[in-house]
Amino acid sequence: MVQPAPASPLFWRFNPEIYQRMGMKCSDCGHITYPRRKICPECGSFNVKEHQLSKTGKVHTFCINWTPPPNLEPPIVNVIVDLDGGGRYQGLITEVANPEDVTIGTKVEMVLRKVMTDRGLNIYGYKFRLVEEG
Amino acid sequence: MRGKVAIIGVGMIPFGELFEMGLEEMVQQAYINCLNSVDKGISTKDIKAAWFGQWSGGGMIGQGALCGASLATMIGNREIPITRTENGCPTGSDAFRNACLGVASGVYDVVLAMGAEKMRDKPGVESLIAAGGGGGGILGLHPSWMLGMGGPVLQALYATRQMHELGYTMEDYARVAVKNHHNGVACPYAHYRFEVTMERVLNSPIVCWPLHLLDCCPQTDGAACAIVCRADIAKSFTDKPVYVLGSNTGLDHKNMWDKHSFVEMLSTVRAARGAFEMAGIKPDDVDFAEIHDCFTNTELMNLEDIGFCKKGEAANLLREGYWNRDGAKPINPSGGLKAHGHPIAATGIGQICENYWQLREEVEPERQVKLKNGIALSHNVGGDAFGVSCVTILSRSL
Repeated sequence: MVQPAPASPLFWRFNPEIYQRMGMKCSDCGHITYPRRKICPECGSFNVKEHQLSKTGKVHTFCINWTPPPNLEPPIVNVIVDLDGGGRYQGLITEVANPEDVTIGTKVEMVLRKVMTDRGLNIYGYKFRLVEEG
Repeated sequence: MRGKVAIIGVGMIPFGELFEMGLEEMVQQAYINCLNSVDKGISTKDIKAAWFGQWSGGGMIGQGALCGASLATMIGNREIPITRTENGCPTGSDAFRNACLGVASGVYDVVLAMGAEKMRDKPGVESLIAAGGGGGGILGLHPSWMLGMGGPVLQALYATRQMHELGYTMEDYARVAVKNHHNGVACPYAHYRFEVTMERVLNSPIVCWPLHLLDCCPQTDGAACAIVCRADIAKSFTDKPVYVLGSNTGLDHKNMWDKHSFVEMLSTVRAARGAFEMAGIKPDDVDFAEIHDCFTNTELMNLEDIGFCKKGEAANLLREGYWNRDGAKPINPSGGLKAHGHPIAATGIGQICENYWQLREEVEPERQVKLKNGIALSHNVGGDAFGVSCVTILSRSL
Protein backbone atom coordinates (compact mmCIF):
# COMPACT_ATOMS: atom_id res chain seq x y z
CA MET A 1 0.00 0.00 0.00
CA VAL A 2 1.43 3.35 -1.05
CA GLN A 3 0.63 5.88 1.66
CA PRO A 4 1.52 9.55 1.47
CA ALA A 5 4.07 10.72 4.07
CA PRO A 6 2.70 12.93 6.89
CA ALA A 7 4.33 15.94 5.27
CA SER A 8 2.70 15.12 1.94
CA PRO A 9 0.88 18.02 0.20
CA LEU A 10 -2.25 15.81 0.38
CA PHE A 11 -2.49 16.33 4.15
CA TRP A 12 -2.01 20.08 3.97
CA ARG A 13 -4.42 20.43 1.03
CA PHE A 14 -7.22 18.46 2.68
CA ASN A 15 -7.00 20.05 6.14
CA PRO A 16 -10.38 21.85 5.89
CA GLU A 17 -11.99 18.71 4.44
CA ILE A 18 -10.66 16.40 7.11
CA TYR A 19 -10.85 18.50 10.25
CA GLN A 20 -13.70 20.93 9.53
CA ARG A 21 -15.67 18.42 7.42
CA MET A 22 -15.88 20.98 4.64
CA GLY A 23 -17.72 19.64 1.61
CA MET A 24 -19.47 20.94 -1.50
CA LYS A 25 -23.09 21.46 -2.47
CA CYS A 26 -24.25 21.95 -6.04
CA SER A 27 -26.60 24.92 -6.41
CA ASP A 28 -28.14 23.34 -9.51
CA CYS A 29 -28.75 19.67 -8.68
CA GLY A 30 -28.32 19.77 -4.89
CA HIS A 31 -25.66 17.04 -4.81
CA ILE A 32 -23.56 17.13 -1.63
CA THR A 33 -20.09 15.60 -1.58
CA TYR A 34 -16.47 15.96 -0.47
CA PRO A 35 -13.73 16.97 -1.08
CA ARG A 36 -14.58 20.48 -2.30
CA ARG A 37 -14.19 21.02 -6.03
CA LYS A 38 -14.95 23.47 -8.81
CA ILE A 39 -17.27 21.22 -10.81
CA CYS A 40 -20.18 19.13 -9.51
CA PRO A 41 -19.38 15.44 -10.16
CA GLU A 42 -23.08 14.61 -10.36
CA CYS A 43 -24.31 17.07 -13.00
CA GLY A 44 -21.23 18.96 -14.24
CA SER A 45 -22.45 22.34 -13.01
CA PHE A 46 -19.83 25.00 -12.13
CA ASN A 47 -22.37 26.56 -9.78
CA VAL A 48 -21.16 25.00 -6.53
CA LYS A 49 -20.56 26.30 -3.01
CA GLU A 50 -18.94 25.16 0.21
CA HIS A 51 -21.07 23.02 2.45
CA GLN A 52 -20.42 22.07 6.06
CA LEU A 53 -21.05 18.33 6.46
CA SER A 54 -22.94 17.16 9.53
CA LYS A 55 -21.25 15.02 12.20
CA THR A 56 -24.26 12.75 12.65
CA GLY A 57 -26.18 10.38 10.47
CA LYS A 58 -27.48 6.86 9.90
CA VAL A 59 -25.74 3.82 8.43
CA HIS A 60 -26.78 3.39 4.77
CA THR A 61 -24.78 0.21 4.25
CA PHE A 62 -21.96 -1.63 6.00
CA CYS A 63 -19.79 -4.72 6.02
CA ILE A 64 -17.70 -6.53 8.59
CA ASN A 65 -14.18 -6.85 7.27
CA TRP A 66 -12.19 -9.80 8.63
CA THR A 67 -9.31 -9.29 6.21
CA PRO A 68 -8.42 -5.60 6.47
CA PRO A 69 -5.12 -4.22 5.18
CA PRO A 70 -2.14 -4.52 7.56
CA ASN A 71 -2.10 -2.25 10.64
CA LEU A 72 -5.83 -2.67 11.18
CA GLU A 73 -7.05 -5.23 13.70
CA PRO A 74 -9.95 -7.40 12.43
CA PRO A 75 -12.87 -7.25 12.55
CA ILE A 76 -13.38 -3.71 11.34
CA VAL A 77 -16.75 -2.35 10.27
CA ASN A 78 -16.76 -0.28 7.08
CA VAL A 79 -19.77 1.99 6.67
CA ILE A 80 -21.37 4.38 4.22
CA VAL A 81 -23.36 6.87 6.28
CA ASP A 82 -26.31 9.06 5.21
CA LEU A 83 -25.41 12.32 6.95
CA ASP A 84 -28.13 14.37 8.60
CA GLY A 85 -28.63 17.38 6.34
CA GLY A 86 -27.50 15.52 3.22
CA GLY A 87 -24.53 13.84 1.65
CA ARG A 88 -22.91 10.48 2.36
CA TYR A 89 -19.64 9.72 4.15
CA GLN A 90 -17.38 6.67 3.97
CA GLY A 91 -15.54 5.49 7.06
CA LEU A 92 -14.95 3.00 9.83
CA ILE A 93 -16.89 2.30 13.01
CA THR A 94 -14.91 2.71 16.23
CA GLU A 95 -15.56 1.68 19.85
CA VAL A 96 -17.97 -1.14 19.07
CA ALA A 97 -17.67 -4.27 21.17
CA ASN A 98 -19.91 -6.35 18.96
CA PRO A 99 -19.87 -5.61 15.20
CA GLU A 100 -23.37 -7.10 15.01
CA ASP A 101 -24.67 -4.01 16.83
CA VAL A 102 -24.18 -2.18 13.53
CA THR A 103 -27.02 -2.45 11.06
CA ILE A 104 -28.66 -0.42 8.31
CA GLY A 105 -30.28 2.62 9.93
CA THR A 106 -28.07 2.61 13.05
CA LYS A 107 -27.48 6.17 14.32
CA VAL A 108 -23.82 7.21 14.35
CA GLU A 109 -21.71 10.29 15.03
CA MET A 110 -18.22 11.31 13.95
CA VAL A 111 -15.40 11.36 16.46
CA LEU A 112 -11.81 12.44 15.82
CA ARG A 113 -9.49 9.46 16.19
CA LYS A 114 -6.00 8.43 15.24
CA VAL A 115 -6.45 6.64 11.94
CA MET A 116 -2.86 5.56 11.31
CA THR A 117 0.77 6.01 12.22
CA ASP A 118 3.33 6.84 9.60
CA ARG A 119 7.05 6.96 10.37
CA GLY A 120 6.33 7.61 14.03
CA LEU A 121 3.79 10.37 13.48
CA ASN A 122 0.09 10.01 14.28
CA ILE A 123 -2.41 10.86 11.57
CA TYR A 124 -5.92 11.85 12.69
CA GLY A 125 -9.26 11.68 10.96
CA TYR A 126 -12.92 10.98 11.66
CA LYS A 127 -14.40 7.62 12.56
CA PHE A 128 -18.01 6.83 13.43
CA ARG A 129 -19.27 5.91 16.89
CA LEU A 130 -22.68 4.41 17.64
CA VAL A 131 -25.06 6.91 19.23
CA GLU A 132 -26.65 5.57 22.43
CA GLU A 133 -30.43 5.54 22.05
CA GLY A 134 -32.61 7.18 24.74
CA MET B 1 -20.84 0.77 -35.29
CA ARG B 2 -20.65 2.55 -38.65
CA GLY B 3 -17.58 0.68 -39.91
CA LYS B 4 -18.29 -3.07 -39.54
CA VAL B 5 -15.73 -5.10 -37.60
CA ALA B 6 -15.12 -8.86 -37.38
CA ILE B 7 -13.02 -11.12 -35.18
CA ILE B 8 -10.95 -13.56 -37.23
CA GLY B 9 -8.83 -15.17 -34.54
CA VAL B 10 -8.41 -15.38 -30.78
CA GLY B 11 -5.80 -16.84 -28.46
CA MET B 12 -5.65 -17.47 -24.75
CA ILE B 13 -3.52 -19.44 -22.33
CA PRO B 14 -4.99 -21.49 -19.48
CA PHE B 15 -5.44 -19.07 -16.55
CA GLY B 16 -3.98 -19.91 -13.16
CA GLU B 17 -1.11 -19.40 -10.77
CA LEU B 18 1.51 -19.40 -13.50
CA PHE B 19 4.66 -19.07 -11.41
CA GLU B 20 6.66 -20.66 -14.23
CA MET B 21 5.69 -17.96 -16.75
CA GLY B 22 6.54 -14.26 -16.86
CA LEU B 23 4.38 -11.59 -18.44
CA GLU B 24 6.35 -11.80 -21.70
CA GLU B 25 5.99 -15.56 -22.04
CA MET B 26 2.26 -15.41 -21.33
CA VAL B 27 1.80 -12.66 -23.96
CA GLN B 28 3.88 -14.54 -26.54
CA GLN B 29 2.00 -17.81 -26.03
CA ALA B 30 -1.41 -16.11 -26.30
CA TYR B 31 -0.21 -14.28 -29.45
CA ILE B 32 1.07 -17.50 -31.07
CA ASN B 33 -2.18 -19.29 -30.20
CA CYS B 34 -4.12 -16.39 -31.71
CA LEU B 35 -2.17 -16.35 -35.01
CA ASN B 36 -2.51 -20.14 -35.28
CA SER B 37 -6.28 -19.89 -34.72
CA VAL B 38 -6.87 -17.95 -37.96
CA ASP B 39 -8.44 -20.61 -40.20
CA LYS B 40 -6.90 -19.51 -43.52
CA GLY B 41 -3.70 -18.22 -41.94
CA ILE B 42 -2.40 -14.73 -41.29
CA SER B 43 0.98 -13.06 -41.54
CA THR B 44 2.20 -10.96 -38.62
CA LYS B 45 2.75 -8.27 -41.26
CA ASP B 46 -1.03 -8.08 -41.82
CA ILE B 47 -1.44 -6.58 -38.34
CA LYS B 48 -1.24 -2.79 -38.67
CA ALA B 49 -1.78 -1.59 -35.10
CA ALA B 50 -2.29 -2.97 -31.59
CA TRP B 51 -3.82 -2.05 -28.27
CA PHE B 52 -2.19 -3.49 -25.16
CA GLY B 53 -4.51 -3.90 -22.19
CA GLN B 54 -2.37 -3.86 -19.07
CA TRP B 55 -3.80 -2.78 -15.75
CA SER B 56 -1.11 -2.87 -13.07
CA GLY B 57 1.50 -1.17 -15.23
CA GLY B 58 4.23 -3.35 -13.83
CA GLY B 59 3.37 -2.61 -10.20
CA MET B 60 2.47 -6.25 -9.67
CA ILE B 61 5.78 -7.57 -11.01
CA GLY B 62 8.17 -4.83 -9.96
CA GLN B 63 9.15 -4.04 -13.52
CA GLY B 64 8.29 -0.35 -13.71
CA ALA B 65 5.80 1.05 -16.19
CA LEU B 66 4.59 -0.91 -19.19
CA CYS B 67 3.81 0.81 -22.47
CA GLY B 68 3.31 0.23 -26.18
CA ALA B 69 7.01 -0.54 -26.60
CA SER B 70 6.64 -3.39 -24.09
CA LEU B 71 4.18 -5.21 -26.33
CA ALA B 72 6.16 -4.28 -29.47
CA THR B 73 9.19 -5.97 -27.96
CA MET B 74 7.23 -9.00 -26.75
CA ILE B 75 5.67 -9.71 -30.15
CA GLY B 76 8.75 -8.62 -32.11
CA ASN B 77 6.99 -5.94 -34.09
CA ARG B 78 8.24 -2.36 -33.72
CA GLU B 79 6.84 -1.21 -37.07
CA ILE B 80 3.26 -0.57 -35.93
CA PRO B 81 1.67 1.88 -33.47
CA ILE B 82 0.76 0.30 -30.12
CA THR B 83 -1.04 2.01 -27.26
CA ARG B 84 -1.30 0.70 -23.72
CA THR B 85 -4.85 0.87 -22.35
CA GLU B 86 -5.76 0.91 -18.66
CA ASN B 87 -9.32 1.30 -17.45
CA GLY B 88 -9.75 -0.69 -14.26
CA CYS B 89 -11.14 -4.22 -14.41
CA PRO B 90 -12.61 -3.62 -17.90
CA THR B 91 -9.06 -2.87 -19.18
CA GLY B 92 -9.04 -5.83 -21.61
CA SER B 93 -12.50 -5.10 -22.96
CA ASP B 94 -11.60 -1.46 -23.42
CA ALA B 95 -8.38 -2.36 -25.26
CA PHE B 96 -10.59 -4.52 -27.51
CA ARG B 97 -13.04 -1.64 -27.95
CA ASN B 98 -10.23 0.70 -29.00
CA ALA B 99 -8.93 -1.91 -31.43
CA CYS B 100 -12.42 -2.14 -32.96
CA LEU B 101 -12.58 1.66 -33.23
CA GLY B 102 -9.22 1.58 -35.02
CA VAL B 103 -10.78 -0.64 -37.68
CA ALA B 104 -14.23 1.00 -37.68
CA SER B 105 -12.62 4.40 -38.27
CA GLY B 106 -11.19 3.11 -41.53
CA VAL B 107 -7.60 3.81 -40.52
CA TYR B 108 -6.49 0.16 -40.15
CA ASP B 109 -7.67 -3.05 -41.85
CA VAL B 110 -6.37 -5.58 -39.30
CA VAL B 111 -5.41 -4.92 -35.67
CA LEU B 112 -4.58 -6.80 -32.47
CA ALA B 113 -6.01 -6.43 -28.96
CA MET B 114 -3.92 -8.03 -26.22
CA GLY B 115 -4.55 -8.21 -22.47
CA ALA B 116 -2.18 -9.73 -19.91
CA GLU B 117 -1.72 -9.59 -16.17
CA LYS B 118 0.56 -11.15 -13.56
CA MET B 119 -1.37 -11.17 -10.26
CA ARG B 120 0.42 -13.93 -8.38
CA ASP B 121 4.11 -13.01 -8.45
CA LYS B 122 3.36 -11.08 -5.26
CA PRO B 123 2.27 -13.08 -2.19
CA GLY B 124 -1.49 -13.14 -1.50
CA VAL B 125 -1.85 -10.19 0.88
CA GLU B 126 0.54 -7.94 -1.07
CA SER B 127 -1.23 -8.87 -4.28
CA LEU B 128 -4.64 -7.96 -2.85
CA ILE B 129 -3.36 -4.66 -1.49
CA ALA B 130 -1.70 -3.79 -4.79
CA ALA B 131 -5.07 -4.56 -6.41
CA GLY B 132 -6.75 -1.75 -4.52
CA GLY B 133 -6.62 -2.45 -0.81
CA GLY B 134 -6.88 0.41 1.56
CA GLY B 135 -4.70 3.18 0.17
CA GLY B 136 -6.16 6.61 -0.45
CA GLY B 137 -2.85 7.98 -1.65
CA ILE B 138 -2.94 6.46 -5.08
CA LEU B 139 -6.43 7.86 -5.63
CA GLY B 140 -5.43 11.37 -4.58
CA LEU B 141 -7.76 11.04 -1.60
CA HIS B 142 -6.94 11.47 2.05
CA PRO B 143 -6.16 8.06 3.62
CA SER B 144 -8.64 8.59 6.44
CA TRP B 145 -11.43 8.40 3.84
CA MET B 146 -10.11 5.18 2.36
CA LEU B 147 -9.07 3.40 5.54
CA GLY B 148 -9.67 -0.34 5.40
CA MET B 149 -11.12 -0.29 1.87
CA GLY B 150 -10.38 -2.84 -0.85
CA GLY B 151 -12.11 -4.98 -3.47
CA PRO B 152 -14.10 -7.25 -1.13
CA VAL B 153 -15.20 -4.25 1.00
CA LEU B 154 -16.51 -2.36 -2.01
CA GLN B 155 -18.63 -5.32 -3.07
CA ALA B 156 -19.69 -6.28 0.45
CA LEU B 157 -21.14 -2.76 0.89
CA TYR B 158 -23.33 -3.51 -2.14
CA ALA B 159 -24.09 -7.08 -1.00
CA THR B 160 -25.43 -5.88 2.38
CA ARG B 161 -27.71 -3.37 0.71
CA GLN B 162 -28.92 -5.96 -1.84
CA MET B 163 -29.95 -8.15 1.12
CA HIS B 164 -31.73 -5.19 2.73
CA GLU B 165 -33.54 -3.82 -0.33
CA LEU B 166 -34.04 -6.91 -2.50
CA GLY B 167 -34.24 -9.62 0.15
CA TYR B 168 -31.20 -11.48 -1.21
CA THR B 169 -29.52 -13.97 1.12
CA MET B 170 -26.06 -15.41 1.56
CA GLU B 171 -27.51 -18.64 0.11
CA ASP B 172 -28.44 -16.72 -3.06
CA TYR B 173 -24.85 -15.51 -3.34
CA ALA B 174 -23.45 -19.01 -2.68
CA ARG B 175 -25.64 -20.41 -5.47
CA VAL B 176 -23.73 -18.23 -7.98
CA ALA B 177 -20.45 -19.82 -6.86
CA VAL B 178 -21.93 -23.32 -7.19
CA LYS B 179 -23.11 -22.62 -10.76
CA ASN B 180 -19.90 -20.98 -11.95
CA HIS B 181 -17.59 -23.57 -10.39
CA HIS B 182 -19.68 -26.27 -12.08
CA ASN B 183 -19.16 -24.51 -15.42
CA GLY B 184 -15.45 -24.06 -14.75
CA VAL B 185 -14.88 -27.79 -14.27
CA ALA B 186 -15.53 -28.38 -17.97
CA CYS B 187 -13.45 -25.45 -19.23
CA PRO B 188 -9.82 -26.31 -19.97
CA TYR B 189 -8.76 -22.65 -19.64
CA ALA B 190 -10.27 -22.17 -16.15
CA HIS B 191 -8.14 -21.49 -13.05
CA TYR B 192 -10.45 -23.42 -10.67
CA ARG B 193 -11.74 -26.69 -12.04
CA PHE B 194 -13.52 -28.09 -9.00
CA GLU B 195 -17.13 -28.23 -7.89
CA VAL B 196 -18.30 -26.49 -4.72
CA THR B 197 -21.47 -27.18 -2.76
CA MET B 198 -23.68 -24.62 -1.01
CA GLU B 199 -22.41 -25.95 2.32
CA ARG B 200 -18.79 -25.55 1.31
CA VAL B 201 -19.31 -21.94 0.21
CA LEU B 202 -21.30 -21.06 3.33
CA ASN B 203 -18.74 -22.77 5.59
CA SER B 204 -15.75 -21.11 3.97
CA PRO B 205 -14.15 -18.31 6.04
CA ILE B 206 -15.79 -14.89 6.04
CA VAL B 207 -13.59 -12.48 4.10
CA CYS B 208 -15.86 -9.51 4.49
CA TRP B 209 -19.36 -10.14 5.80
CA PRO B 210 -21.65 -10.96 4.02
CA LEU B 211 -19.08 -12.41 1.59
CA HIS B 212 -17.29 -15.73 2.19
CA LEU B 213 -13.95 -16.73 0.71
CA LEU B 214 -15.74 -18.79 -1.94
CA ASP B 215 -17.89 -15.78 -2.90
CA CYS B 216 -14.69 -14.09 -4.14
CA CYS B 217 -12.89 -14.66 -7.43
CA PRO B 218 -9.21 -15.62 -7.22
CA GLN B 219 -6.10 -13.58 -8.04
CA THR B 220 -5.02 -15.15 -11.34
CA ASP B 221 -2.29 -14.87 -13.97
CA GLY B 222 -3.28 -14.94 -17.62
CA ALA B 223 -3.15 -13.53 -21.12
CA ALA B 224 -5.65 -13.39 -23.97
CA CYS B 225 -5.82 -11.67 -27.35
CA ALA B 226 -7.95 -11.23 -30.43
CA ILE B 227 -7.40 -10.08 -34.01
CA VAL B 228 -10.11 -7.92 -35.55
CA CYS B 229 -10.46 -6.68 -39.11
CA ARG B 230 -12.80 -4.94 -41.53
CA ALA B 231 -15.89 -7.13 -41.85
CA ASP B 232 -15.74 -7.03 -45.65
CA ILE B 233 -12.32 -8.70 -45.75
CA ALA B 234 -12.95 -11.16 -42.89
CA LYS B 235 -13.81 -14.07 -45.20
CA SER B 236 -10.29 -14.00 -46.64
CA PHE B 237 -9.08 -15.10 -43.17
CA THR B 238 -11.90 -17.44 -42.10
CA ASP B 239 -15.25 -18.72 -43.34
CA LYS B 240 -16.66 -18.29 -39.82
CA PRO B 241 -15.87 -14.76 -38.64
CA VAL B 242 -17.63 -13.42 -35.58
CA TYR B 243 -18.91 -9.87 -35.89
CA VAL B 244 -18.69 -7.09 -33.33
CA LEU B 245 -22.17 -5.58 -33.16
CA GLY B 246 -21.55 -3.24 -30.26
CA SER B 247 -18.86 -2.25 -27.80
CA ASN B 248 -19.32 0.48 -25.23
CA THR B 249 -17.79 1.88 -22.06
CA GLY B 250 -20.02 3.32 -19.33
CA LEU B 251 -18.98 5.32 -16.29
CA ASP B 252 -20.19 6.35 -12.86
CA HIS B 253 -18.73 8.21 -9.85
CA LYS B 254 -15.31 7.01 -8.68
CA ASN B 255 -16.15 7.58 -5.01
CA MET B 256 -18.52 5.27 -3.15
CA TRP B 257 -20.16 8.13 -1.23
CA ASP B 258 -21.39 9.73 -4.47
CA LYS B 259 -23.33 6.66 -5.64
CA HIS B 260 -27.09 7.05 -6.02
CA SER B 261 -27.71 3.40 -5.09
CA PHE B 262 -26.03 0.32 -3.68
CA VAL B 263 -28.19 -2.18 -5.55
CA GLU B 264 -27.41 -0.85 -9.03
CA MET B 265 -24.26 0.17 -10.90
CA LEU B 266 -24.88 3.00 -13.35
CA SER B 267 -21.56 2.22 -15.05
CA THR B 268 -23.00 -1.13 -16.18
CA VAL B 269 -26.40 0.37 -17.00
CA ARG B 270 -24.77 2.99 -19.23
CA ALA B 271 -22.33 0.57 -20.89
CA ALA B 272 -25.11 -1.91 -21.68
CA ARG B 273 -27.58 0.70 -22.91
CA GLY B 274 -25.03 2.13 -25.35
CA ALA B 275 -23.89 -1.29 -26.57
CA PHE B 276 -27.45 -2.49 -27.22
CA GLU B 277 -28.22 0.75 -29.06
CA MET B 278 -25.09 0.36 -31.19
CA ALA B 279 -25.95 -3.26 -31.94
CA GLY B 280 -29.62 -2.52 -32.59
CA ILE B 281 -30.71 -5.43 -30.41
CA LYS B 282 -32.43 -5.99 -27.06
CA PRO B 283 -31.25 -7.96 -24.01
CA ASP B 284 -33.74 -10.73 -24.93
CA ASP B 285 -31.92 -11.25 -28.24
CA VAL B 286 -28.74 -12.39 -26.44
CA ASP B 287 -28.31 -16.19 -26.28
CA PHE B 288 -25.71 -16.32 -23.49
CA ALA B 289 -23.22 -14.06 -21.73
CA GLU B 290 -19.93 -13.85 -19.88
CA ILE B 291 -20.35 -11.28 -17.13
CA HIS B 292 -18.19 -9.86 -14.36
CA ASP B 293 -18.70 -12.08 -11.30
CA CYS B 294 -15.70 -10.82 -9.32
CA PHE B 295 -17.95 -11.53 -6.33
CA THR B 296 -21.07 -13.64 -6.33
CA ASN B 297 -23.43 -10.78 -5.44
CA THR B 298 -21.98 -8.78 -8.34
CA GLU B 299 -23.22 -11.37 -10.85
CA LEU B 300 -26.81 -10.95 -9.64
CA MET B 301 -26.54 -7.15 -9.80
CA ASN B 302 -24.99 -7.23 -13.28
CA LEU B 303 -27.75 -9.44 -14.71
CA GLU B 304 -30.29 -6.84 -13.60
CA ASP B 305 -28.22 -3.81 -14.63
CA ILE B 306 -27.56 -5.21 -18.12
CA GLY B 307 -31.32 -5.72 -18.48
CA PHE B 308 -31.51 -9.53 -18.62
CA CYS B 309 -34.14 -9.35 -15.85
CA LYS B 310 -35.82 -6.81 -13.58
CA LYS B 311 -34.12 -5.53 -10.40
CA GLY B 312 -34.55 -8.10 -7.65
CA GLU B 313 -35.37 -11.05 -9.96
CA ALA B 314 -31.88 -12.44 -10.64
CA ALA B 315 -31.68 -14.65 -7.54
CA ASN B 316 -35.06 -16.32 -8.14
CA LEU B 317 -34.18 -17.02 -11.76
CA LEU B 318 -30.88 -18.52 -10.59
CA ARG B 319 -32.77 -20.83 -8.23
CA GLU B 320 -34.96 -21.94 -11.17
CA GLY B 321 -31.87 -22.76 -13.28
CA TYR B 322 -32.53 -19.97 -15.77
CA TRP B 323 -28.84 -18.91 -15.83
CA ASN B 324 -27.44 -22.47 -15.91
CA ARG B 325 -25.34 -23.67 -18.82
CA ASP B 326 -28.36 -25.68 -20.03
CA GLY B 327 -30.85 -23.02 -18.93
CA ALA B 328 -32.78 -20.39 -20.89
CA LYS B 329 -29.92 -17.88 -20.77
CA PRO B 330 -26.56 -19.41 -19.80
CA ILE B 331 -24.38 -17.02 -17.80
CA ASN B 332 -20.64 -17.57 -17.51
CA PRO B 333 -20.39 -20.93 -19.27
CA SER B 334 -16.58 -20.51 -18.99
CA GLY B 335 -16.83 -20.52 -15.20
CA GLY B 336 -16.73 -16.73 -15.03
CA LEU B 337 -14.23 -14.77 -12.99
CA LYS B 338 -15.25 -16.93 -10.05
CA ALA B 339 -13.81 -20.15 -11.51
CA HIS B 340 -12.08 -19.12 -14.74
CA GLY B 341 -10.11 -16.46 -12.84
CA HIS B 342 -9.54 -12.73 -13.03
CA PRO B 343 -6.16 -11.68 -14.49
CA ILE B 344 -7.46 -8.13 -14.78
CA ALA B 345 -6.41 -7.00 -18.28
CA ALA B 346 -6.78 -10.53 -19.69
CA THR B 347 -10.25 -11.08 -18.21
CA GLY B 348 -12.31 -9.09 -20.74
CA ILE B 349 -10.50 -10.45 -23.80
CA GLY B 350 -10.69 -13.94 -22.28
CA GLN B 351 -14.48 -13.55 -22.21
CA ILE B 352 -14.38 -12.50 -25.87
CA CYS B 353 -12.30 -15.62 -26.70
CA GLU B 354 -14.88 -17.80 -24.94
CA ASN B 355 -17.79 -16.13 -26.74
CA TYR B 356 -15.97 -16.46 -30.09
CA TRP B 357 -15.48 -20.20 -29.53
CA GLN B 358 -19.04 -20.72 -28.27
CA LEU B 359 -20.52 -18.84 -31.25
CA ARG B 360 -18.39 -20.95 -33.63
CA GLU B 361 -19.47 -24.07 -31.67
CA GLU B 362 -15.87 -25.07 -31.07
CA VAL B 363 -15.89 -25.77 -27.34
CA GLU B 364 -16.06 -29.19 -25.68
CA PRO B 365 -19.51 -30.70 -26.49
CA GLU B 366 -20.53 -30.98 -22.81
CA ARG B 367 -20.17 -27.25 -22.29
CA GLN B 368 -21.45 -25.94 -25.62
CA VAL B 369 -24.42 -23.63 -25.04
CA LYS B 370 -27.51 -23.79 -27.26
CA LEU B 371 -27.56 -21.02 -29.86
CA LYS B 372 -30.74 -19.40 -31.11
CA ASN B 373 -29.92 -15.96 -32.49
CA GLY B 374 -26.16 -16.52 -32.45
CA ILE B 375 -25.57 -13.45 -30.27
CA ALA B 376 -23.32 -13.31 -27.19
CA LEU B 377 -22.54 -10.56 -24.69
CA SER B 378 -19.58 -9.96 -22.41
CA HIS B 379 -19.34 -7.48 -19.55
CA ASN B 380 -16.81 -6.09 -17.08
CA VAL B 381 -17.17 -3.63 -14.27
CA GLY B 382 -14.45 -2.23 -12.01
CA GLY B 383 -12.01 0.59 -11.50
CA ASP B 384 -12.34 3.04 -8.60
CA ALA B 385 -15.63 2.24 -6.80
CA PHE B 386 -16.74 0.12 -9.80
CA GLY B 387 -17.11 3.30 -11.83
CA VAL B 388 -16.06 1.77 -15.18
CA SER B 389 -17.93 -0.84 -17.22
CA CYS B 390 -17.54 -2.30 -20.71
CA VAL B 391 -20.09 -4.31 -22.66
CA THR B 392 -19.24 -6.11 -25.90
CA ILE B 393 -21.84 -7.75 -28.15
CA LEU B 394 -20.75 -10.39 -30.69
CA SER B 395 -22.76 -12.13 -33.39
CA ARG B 396 -22.39 -14.91 -35.95
CA SER B 397 -24.01 -12.69 -38.57
CA LEU B 398 -24.00 -8.99 -39.39
